[in-house]
Amino acid sequence: MNKVIILIFLLINFADFETKPDQFIARQGQISFFSYTSVENIEAKNNQVLSIIDLSKNEIAISMLMNAFIFKKSLMHEHFNESYIESDLHPKATFEGKIKDFDPLMDGVQTRMIAGELTIHGITKEVEIKATIENTEGKYLFTGDFEVAVKDFDIKIPPILAPNIAKNISITFRFEYQPYEK
Amino acid sequence: MNNRNKIIFLFFSALLIIGGYAYFEFHKSSYKNIDAMSTDTSVNSSELISLFMLNENSANSVYRNKVIEVEGIVKEVTFLNNRNTVLLHGNNKYSSVLCDMKDDQVEEIKKLKKGQKVRIKGVCKGFLKDAIILHCILINTPINE
Repeated sequence: MNKVIILIFLLINFADFETKPDQFIARQGQISFFSYTSVENIEAKNNQVLSIIDLSKNEIAISMLMNAFIFKKSLMHEHFNESYIESDLHPKATFEGKIKDFDPLMDGVQTRMIAGELTIHGITKEVEIKATIENTEGKYLFTGDFEVAVKDFDIKIPPILAPNIAKNISITFRFEYQPYEK
Repeated sequence: MNNRNKIIFLFFSALLIIGGYAYFEFHKSSYKNIDAMSTDTSVNSSELISLFMLNENSANSVYRNKVIEVEGIVKEVTFLNNRNTVLLHGNNKYSSVLCDMKDDQVEEIKKLKKGQKVRIKGVCKGFLKDAIILHCILINTPINE
């Protein structure tokens, strides 16, 4: 009887030891933002967003360089960096959060809420973001979209340009994670 | 020229000047001609990473938003999200120099092999876990090992 218990115990332990690495990294995550107004549409993309997920704690961290957003027009890029985001003073935007009820071992697609702190332009806000998580053979793909209000992050837009910039900016994200070997 | 014609003439001239200015301001895409821009500084990829890891602020003051030339060994070439990216080895296995190549470089990049030595010119944007260089071009015929 004791031997059976030990055997079961060992089996469970070995099953646990077989798990994949806890940390996964995306070095080339993509974040796009869109501002739709009747005057003009503004779109920018950053393809070098860094993110690490820690599956042992279901935590996620994201960091990006604000000056690495690419715009169609250079004047938009200039205004964004120099006047609105002030990327010399606040070079990075970050997010740190927890993925709620996430089961890393589940194959296929699951939709989960990620709650955490989003910091843009030096201002930190609590946000909750819905993400679609796809697990294919131990690689994770996170995608989704959400909105942020320009006024929440103390971004000053001169009255003359106010009609050109939406009050709420839509943001889409796409992160492909690979095991992060330590 | 009577007064009315003068006003019309001035009006259209002003319109033309404003229009022209707006056209150039809105259509000049930054770093379209990276090959024509002069290089601010040159550095080796391992050295660039070690400088950023040692002191990010001081490295930023030297490299951030500057046109730089980086020499390094190809670690990986990726085509994720329709971007053409060349990663160069840093001084440790966790960090590399991430070079986002311009679209016209795609044919050259496809020929690159891991371990090959290359020289890349682009605009340094800063450092996360990797140093990030955008608008990159290959600036010499790659030397085979």
